[in-house]
Amino acid sequence: MEAATAAPASPVIHPRAAAFTVEARGIERRIGLLFAGTGIALVALLGVFGLLMRLTQATVLGLSPAWFYRLMTLHGAGMITGTLLAMMGALWYVLHASVPLRTGRMLASYALVVTGALCVLVATLFGGFGAGWTFLPPLPFYPAGQWPVWSESLFFVGLLLVGSGFFVYCIDVLEQTTATYGGLVRTLGWQFLRGREDEAPPPQAIAATVVAIDGLLAMASGTAIVVGLLGRTYDAGVGINALVAKNLVFFFGHSIANLVLYLAAAAIYVLIPRYAGRPYQTTKVFVAGWAASLVFIATAYSHHLYMDFVQPTWAEIGSEIASYAAVIPVAVITIYSMAMLVWGSRYRWTLASTLLYVGLAGWAIGGTGAVIDSIIPINFRFHNTVWVVAHFHTYLMMTVVLWVLAFLAHLLERDSGITSSRAARAWTIGLLLVGGYGLTGTWFVGGALGIPRRYAIQPAGTSGYSLVGSIFALLFALGFLACLAQLAPLARAAWKRRRHVLVEHMDSWTGTRYTRPAPRAEADPSPAANPTPPRRGVPLTGPAQLGLGLAICIVALAAFFPQVVDASEASTRYHHLDHAGHFLLGIMAGLLLGSTPAISRRLGERPTLGLAAVLAAPVLMMLVMVPRFYEPLERHPFEHALYHLAMASCGLVAGLGATRLGLVAGRFAAFLAVGMALMFAAAMTGA
Amino acid sequence: MSLHYGDPQIAIAAVFAALAFLLAGVFLVIGVQAGSEVAFERVHRVGYWLRKRWLVLLLVVGVLAVGISLFDLPYASGNAAGRTVVKVTAGQFFWSLVPGQVPAGTQVRFDVTSVDVNHGFGLYDPRGHLIGSVQAMPGYHNDLDLNLTEPGVYRIRCLEYCGLNHSTMDGSFTVVGR
Repeated sequence: MEAATAAPASPVIHPRAAAFTVEARGIERRIGLLFAGTGIALVALLGVFGLLMRLTQATVLGLSPAWFYRLMTLHGAGMITGTLLAMMGALWYVLHASVPLRTGRMLASYALVVTGALCVLVATLFGGFGAGWTFLPPLPFYPAGQWPVWSESLFFVGLLLVGSGFFVYCIDVLEQTTATYGGLVRTLGWQFLRGREDEAPPPQAIAATVVAIDGLLAMASGTAIVVGLLGRTYDAGVGINALVAKNLVFFFGHSIANLVLYLAAAAIYVLIPRYAGRPYQTTKVFVAGWAASLVFIATAYSHHLYMDFVQPTWAEIGSEIASYAAVIPVAVITIYSMAMLVWGSRYRWTLASTLLYVGLAGWAIGGTGAVIDSIIPINFRFHNTVWVVAHFHTYLMMTVVLWVLAFLAHLLERDSGITSSRAARAWTIGLLLVGGYGLTGTWFVGGALGIPRRYAIQPAGTSGYSLVGSIFALLFALGFLACLAQLAPLARAAWKRRRHVLVEHMDSWTGTRYTRPAPRAEADPSPAANPTPPRRGVPLTGPAQLGLGLAICIVALAAFFPQVVDASEASTRYHHLDHAGHFLLGIMAGLLLGSTPAISRRLGERPTLGLAAVLAAPVLMMLVMVPRFYEPLERHPFEHALYHLAMASCGLVAGLGATRLGLVAGRFAAFLAVGMALMFAAAMTGA
Repeated sequence: MSLHYGDPQIAIAAVFAALAFLLAGVFLVIGVQAGSEVAFERVHRVGYWLRKRWLVLLLVVGVLAVGISLFDLPYASGNAAGRTVVKVTAGQFFWSLVPGQVPAGTQVRFDVTSVDVNHGFGLYDPRGHLIGSVQAMPGYHNDLDLNLTEPGVYRIRCLEYCGLNHSTMDGSFTVVGR
């Protein structure tokens, strides 16, 4: 559904690209600028903090360990948030032309993420919270006198808000892509793969859907553990299973950091072809590769637990296989295909296109370092050394950060019709490459030497590596600033030319090329040009599915049987599991009611209310499992029964809300809500 | 005790460096070639032919890497019979090892746990080489089996961020010459 108008030949993109490039709408540009601008501001600020940390390790600066770890926590959480925000904007920018994503949802997502980032900033800088952005439980509750309870709580609230923002984004992407292309199977291109359809959705839509699904899974895991920790903040009676908690934290943390790259991949499928002048289209290999990514993005995380020997060995080996397998689609499809597009294309070298191309190399090189570390016997000697810091900085700095800059540069280049001078670009890219790879190189070497990561004070005799690294980091910072300096005139020119575009022409007599302003062919803003897809559906359709839902309800009723309730008192985990049963009953009842045609009609569309319900109800359900909240309610068996009914009521609200999100997103939201209850039950123990 | 590069680490870093330079070279060549004009049909034909081989190569390397790694897994198996069990307890910010020394050549099982938060038991041999690590987790015991042949003082550093004094949380373990 390419509703937007084709772009006129622009001097900054490849002449052949006009045939398949749609003109950006005003809303796409504004959303793109908002998200990219905020993302870059966060990256710049936290990059400075990163430099301060490296200089401290080099003993040039004298930050105390307390401040070092505050900055380290903020640097990690903020960099992921900043780059995530920018790449969410980039994907929205390239996807909106074919999938009618909702502007309101995107702005809500922005507000949640930015508010969450501010909470994290206050919790760390002013509250002193310094448990690291991975906050491995129970570390937040052992502050060694460094942070008060309010800063822990604020940090967790901040993470919940950031996670909720991404949740809103992912639900919208999932809802709208599946509605546009007719269900999940079609959207992922599996019908095309099986030869049942001749056409598949465009690459960016398939990639976006995979990112949305894995993003939602990661957010469910993050929400379950963060709500549990929030409860622990106010009730020391809450215990935490360190192994389960670690699994949940890394499932959330690893996946979200990884998904930034995959979000970016979806965007570059559209951006690089514009400079290469060759369209990138969905093939069966592409569909198969992203189907594999769907699985491996979600399963690779547990390589973070290789050195937790109590994790079952089959899980460790499975993770080793998944970690390697995750690389194959990236190497064979994304990086290889983009390199193929560029090869012999008379690639248009601009600031944006150069950054895009250079970023591909960062992913390949950093990924190689990561794959090496994901081999278990190697990890045994490299685990939590600065080798880890090296490989993830390679693909976050030398790919994601460069692509964040590239995305902003692309927006401004398209609007201004100009790019920076060749000499300025060469200097900038040179500084970024030398500085970036120099910095990560010092970490790679330090990792081989066995220098542990996250040391405020470096082992004796190794601060020289940090000093050399700091010098390279300064060069990278100079490159970053040089890049921003080149973007400034582009922004000015773009503002002046906001009502027209420069169009490249060729003199048919002399063959010389020249540019001339032409009125901006604003894409048709009417709803008819980009209509909301009609097919939404409800999670349970037809008598068979309604019957199945009813059967699950009946089975879940067992959670209320006095014998089951009594037996569940044997341990906190079983008791929480019983609560998950109450919640499941409520959700299924909500799905059944909301999917019944008569009730569904009465409820109306209400997608926003539905989204709020699936976000808030599971969080509320998990929070009321904190003993300090529920113990006053359990003094009498009747009160206890009412409390269990409240669990089911939370489920009912979540289930009804899920029915307002359509068939695919609704089912998925309900599944995640139940999953959160189960993960919470597994991670939280008695004191 | 200062750190020194271990042989496995040097080999692994060398392999990585070679691959990184190879990749950089490939991207440089593609970047230079990007300025020329090659028919896309030809790029498709040759590119897809090459891509199949690239996929096979990655699969072969993957099977070999994972397969070989299975012969050198660090996970302890079986009971501790015939091994000297060293109880390792970590806490903010200390290491306690009981016993604190063993004779050279002893098959040691480090039984590692924590009394508070997650820590990382990183063992450096007397020459300053990192010879392996295992996590110290509250509520769990991780068993690490090692054969310690080299006499001297082994240093333990924390390899999991554990709070304020993480970088100075170290301990030692002695292997006595026979």
